[in-house]
Amino acid sequence: MLSFILRRLLSGVVLVAVISFLAFVLLYMGGGDIARRILGENATAETVAKKTEELGLNRPLLAQYGDWVTSAFTGDLGRSWFTGELVSVSVTNRLAVTLSLVIGATLISAILSVILGVLAARRGGAVDGTVQFLSLIGFAIPGFLIALFLVLVFAINLGWFKATGYVPIATSVGGWLSSVTLPIIALSIGAIATVAAQVRGSVIDATSRDYVRTLRSRGLGDGSVIYKHVLRNAGGPALAVLAVQFVGLLGGAVVVEQIFAIPGMGQLSVRSTTLGDIPVVMGLVIAFAVIVVIVNLLIDLAQAALNPKVRLS
Amino acid sequence: MFRWKATAAVAVIAALALTGCAGGGETDNTGDDGGRADRLTLISIAAPTSYDIGQGAEWGNRSEFFQAVFDTLLSKDASGEIQPWLATEWSYNEDNTVLTLTLRDDVTFTDGEALDADAVVGSLERFRDGTSPQAATMAGKEFAAVDATTVTITQTAPDPSLVNLLSIAPGLVQAPSSFDDADSATTPVGSGPYILDSASSVTGTTYNYTANPDYWNPDVVKYDNLTINVMEDTTAIVNAIKAGEANGAKIADNNTISEVEGAGWTIESNELDFQGLLLLDRAGTMAPELADVKVRQAINMAFDREALLQSLQSGYGTVTEQVFPETSVAYDAALDSTYAYDPDAAKALLADAGYPDGFTLSMMSTPAFQTTFDLVAQQLADIGITVKYTDPGTGNFITDMLAPKYPATWMALEQNPDWQLINFMVGPAATFNPFKYQDDTVDGYIETVQFGTEEEAATALKELNKYLVDQAWFAPFFRVQGSFAVDANTELAFWPTNAYPSIFDFSPKN
Repeated sequence: MLSFILRRLLSGVVLVAVISFLAFVLLYMGGGDIARRILGENATAETVAKKTEELGLNRPLLAQYGDWVTSAFTGDLGRSWFTGELVSVSVTNRLAVTLSLVIGATLISAILSVILGVLAARRGGAVDGTVQFLSLIGFAIPGFLIALFLVLVFAINLGWFKATGYVPIATSVGGWLSSVTLPIIALSIGAIATVAAQVRGSVIDATSRDYVRTLRSRGLGDGSVIYKHVLRNAGGPALAVLAVQFVGLLGGAVVVEQIFAIPGMGQLSVRSTTLGDIPVVMGLVIAFAVIVVIVNLLIDLAQAALNPKVRLS
Repeated sequence: MFRWKATAAVAVIAALALTGCAGGGETDNTGDDGGRADRLTLISIAAPTSYDIGQGAEWGNRSEFFQAVFDTLLSKDASGEIQPWLATEWSYNEDNTVLTLTLRDDVTFTDGEALDADAVVGSLERFRDGTSPQAATMAGKEFAAVDATTVTITQTAPDPSLVNLLSIAPGLVQAPSSFDDADSATTPVGSGPYILDSASSVTGTTYNYTANPDYWNPDVVKYDNLTINVMEDTTAIVNAIKAGEANGAKIADNNTISEVEGAGWTIESNELDFQGLLLLDRAGTMAPELADVKVRQAINMAFDREALLQSLQSGYGTVTEQVFPETSVAYDAALDSTYAYDPDAAKALLADAGYPDGFTLSMMSTPAFQTTFDLVAQQLADIGITVKYTDPGTGNFITDMLAPKYPATWMALEQNPDWQLINFMVGPAATFNPFKYQDDTVDGYIETVQFGTEEEAATALKELNKYLVDQAWFAPFFRVQGSFAVDANTELAFWPTNAYPSIFDFSPKN
């Protein structure tokens, strides 16, 4: 298992290196006049030229990338061109906020998806139809519409939750719950719809297998068969979908964080990309790539833990 | 056996622990303490690019961040008049080339050091030699500390905008102890009314400040705490207003004003920018047609300004045909009816200029203002001018305009005080005169403004403004209403000279 983890980590490093180079090239190709964007319309051409030189933007692209890589290896990702903040601090602070939303949404969608999927598969009939219908609706409605609806009803009209902003849990647990509940719900609905449908299909497939009939013939209860045996087999595909959903939720957080004005990675991504804040975008690209590599590795390990038939090779 | 309960518990704990690392602030608009209210929570639409005055000192929509932690040498009151601040007195020598400032002697930075003439000279030099947007306004000026409370600013020629500049970004004073600290970009050290609480702030998003207990002018500080939340999304701003999560908010989109007022908030306004066409190639080097004043005048007559104002700003603003603002001595209301909307007369004027079939004009467009570009093209088409738009790509609009790559362009430009405005869009070296177009009559007026007496300058400004309108250097459509919303608990005197209100002009109603 150790060699498997090491190999996956090594391939992850290669992946991150390739992504960083591609992102760097793409950003510079479409960057426009970044110094002018930083300084605005009031600056003279001389000041813009001075800023361009100060940022090193007048140097060859490969030289700039080389400097960035050298610094990045020593842990120095530079400073934001638009806020002056260390990129490592920017990304770390916002990573915690976004992960709290995405992990929250993943947990909720995992739990509810299993419940709904198993319920639909076992009960069938009207329950199955209802779950499938709700899945379809949840899948079809865009996350931003759900977010706007939630803000309007539960934050503005009822005043139960915060409409904008983020309160760290260290400041106030109540404030934190007030600030993350609606975004987590907005993020979860689409994921629940997708994963519940996957769980339902996998459970139906697994329950039709011979070993389930054998288990039942040995007198095992329905609950024991489903939760101890069927879910283990059905869990593999569902976990794979959940992993994809987790990564997708990072993307979904972009829109949700904008609507709720939450200082997370999504909001930072939109702002830094729009402005052309290349050091920050590069920091985010690396962070997202590392998250995706780690999540996929963890899912592989979880698959092996769930199902002994899975071999890590 | 897989332990679901244990795994779930670990995951929840991990999520909770992760969230503990983040910064952020919670707003609280209640409470009173010693005559001051507890907290003022504002919404801004742009975060400071750097607190280091050599890199990011700015006014406009970022003034509130700098006003909170720094002092300026001079200040402006709610009516926009220059007032003493760190400098209690200021005077020019006979030929207006040396400005002498007398400083207060009771001001200290939050690092405990005294704010004296050396510190002021250090800040002025740092601003001049740095890369803040307005750094060029201080180019060529020399600064000297005569004694602990006297500073002189020497310039090769009179600069009628200097006193005004000292009341905004160029006049900010930063503690010299922070000059060599790279963290001064996010951790400012000044002498201002508030101190940034970096620990609870999230750079770029949420800025929390506490009142400076040693501030030299405590009477102007009306809140113990100040929070500024940066929101770029219009929907988020309106949601925060409706949910009562702020006391004041910059309104980025005037089309949301009715919604904001519906939430019980009050709109305060001023007018600082104009939108319209800049007819840049007045010598006709790129578009020979624009060299003919009749063509430029015809373009001015092509626009139904009232309709444009209604369509693009929901009527919030004032139609205008001049680039000088209403607050300027150059302003003349009569000039705003020089070119009535008259497509037929415009076509006749074009024919008279030798273009009976019109011509094609190259301009830039950008998706963010597509409606504006469509309306401009439509109105120009009505008089026979075909607009050929090119999208310069993200971030290149101003660069390509100033290159210059286009003979004319739509633009929204600031209407600064007179001398700044002249150097911004009129003078031969002005930033927004990229073709370096020169006109002897204009140069004559500019010389009088710079070197003449106050009365001579005022007369020259009026004549310059009339000349620019008659010669149709520009085709302004309207001045845009700058809007700021305050809740029912907050009073605001919105100064007429800046996009964002002064933090000193907010006060609690009760």
